[in-house]
Amino acid sequence: MSSATKFRLGPKKNLWPYLLITPALAVILLILGFPVFRLITLSFQQFGLAEIVSGIPTWVGFENFQALLKDPEFWTVLRRTFIFTFAMVAASIVIGAWLAHLMLRMNTILRWLLNTTLILVWAIPALVGISIWKWMFSFEFSIITSTINRLGFDFAQRNWFTNTFSGFSIIGGVVVWGAIPFITISIYAALTQVPKELLEAAAIDGANSRQIFRSVILPILLPIYVILISLSIIWDFQVFTQIWVLLDNRPASEYYTMAIYAFEKSFGLSEYGMGAAIALLMIFSLLGVTWFYIKKMVQIGDGNA
Amino acid sequence: MHRKSSIYANISGFFAIIFMGFPVYWMVTTSFKNRQDVLSTEPTILPRSFTIENYQNAFSREGFYTSLRNSLIVVLITVAISLFLATFASVAIARTKFTGKRSFISALLIVQMLPLSALIIPLFLLLTRLQLTNTIGGLALTYVAFILPFTIWTLRGFLANIPTDIEEAALVDGCTRVQAYRHVLLPLMAPGLVATAIFAFIQAWNEFLLAYIIMQSQENLTLPVWLAGFTTRTGTDWGPLMAASTVTAIPVVIFFSLIQKRIATGVTAGAVKG
Repeated sequence: MSSATKFRLGPKKNLWPYLLITPALAVILLILGFPVFRLITLSFQQFGLAEIVSGIPTWVGFENFQALLKDPEFWTVLRRTFIFTFAMVAASIVIGAWLAHLMLRMNTILRWLLNTTLILVWAIPALVGISIWKWMFSFEFSIITSTINRLGFDFAQRNWFTNTFSGFSIIGGVVVWGAIPFITISIYAALTQVPKELLEAAAIDGANSRQIFRSVILPILLPIYVILISLSIIWDFQVFTQIWVLLDNRPASEYYTMAIYAFEKSFGLSEYGMGAAIALLMIFSLLGVTWFYIKKMVQIGDGNA
Repeated sequence: MHRKSSIYANISGFFAIIFMGFPVYWMVTTSFKNRQDVLSTEPTILPRSFTIENYQNAFSREGFYTSLRNSLIVVLITVAISLFLATFASVAIARTKFTGKRSFISALLIVQMLPLSALIIPLFLLLTRLQLTNTIGGLALTYVAFILPFTIWTLRGFLANIPTDIEEAALVDGCTRVQAYRHVLLPLMAPGLVATAIFAFIQAWNEFLLAYIIMQSQENLTLPVWLAGFTTRTGTDWGPLMAASTVTAIPVVIFFSLIQKRIATGVTAGAVKG
């Protein structure tokens, strides 16, 4: 919509919009807004079981943050989280984009089959997906281990999670497997929406296929890639359930990512203030990484009416 | 954009189907194997037995019907309330200008990227104080708050694609604003509302972490939490777990196939078309 054809119901200054957003805003403020505020105050308090019972927190200023920044474990966990997130985002975007481009050149039956498989995988609830992968890589009856053995290797019975590299690969595998359908289908949809006339016009003007890709296809795909990468970062950075359930609800400290670390500090050790400080640092890292995306989305939403 | 099919693409596609589809295949075939086959240290790709005892076992397991009922109730309340509230809010964003709109939109977006595992700490303390932990109402209220920003944003995307001329005509013809919204805009929004409702349903149906923390007692579990409980210190009942997993996935698969055409465009359209 161009701004010339824009049309408003009613005069500029009225109560309508506020009446419309108030109920939604109220719920969001109570259940999300207040906890965010509480998370901030909590991070400046010493808040454990004693404080829950008495209801009187002890204010400690920046002590939680100071203790964290001095703790080598915090930095290990932070680095591990960044590496793990980067690996998962890169894998899902690269594989997803590759499959989407392949789909353009497949025959109709295979394309339909792949599309159906992707939709099926996409529809599998996260916890069901985790259960399946846990089963595929179980200690005694793993189809993966026995297939590898049948190929002539000797893995015997293997606990894939004693080694953190193979453990994180499986966790990442569940996440990437679950993420690929959305990414592939979004990119494929965008690719099929590239107007034929544009491609033909470019070809007539003598552009070669690389030039066509750079000047015609890429500008159309770029916004989609920005969205997909940003969303993947947001989702993968906070991966919790996959690690938690695959490691039987008690992950060893080598498996701590920021999300698990904050959770363990709070609910495991009842150091809620410390947990809140970790959670807050986690939110800041995430907002820092996705700042560009948020700015762009706000512009789009704001320019709409 | 479609080009002539190439052998390279077809072969890669074939392997992609195998790799992506195998876990689902393995879940379904395991769920129909007998105990001896499931607990074989030499599993074979093709099943050697067929039985429905895993399903009988899963259904008769403690808590199946209760958690199924809990899941359905929570999800239905969540979808109804969040859709109702989101419809109003999305009309405000897509059709009106107001002071503070930019802040409201920013809040909606930022809230969506707050990590659940970070918010759960103060949220748990809040719900404890309101005495809402371990209640269906408390869980549903929490779900509504978490799903609302997303539903508002998605509906806004659909609204952005509905031309304003029709409402304008209705207003010129003497409709009041409320009438124009209700009788003209709402029917046009219907497909978007259905798609968004299904999105919301799937999210609430699949949610694990909040339910895991908020609903502690055995009679208040939702399906995903119940599923996670299959692993105990004595081991896992793989056959029944795969049967229960299949059952949990079925409603989502059905709903998903209903809206699959809208999914790809729906999610990104809200962002791209403005």
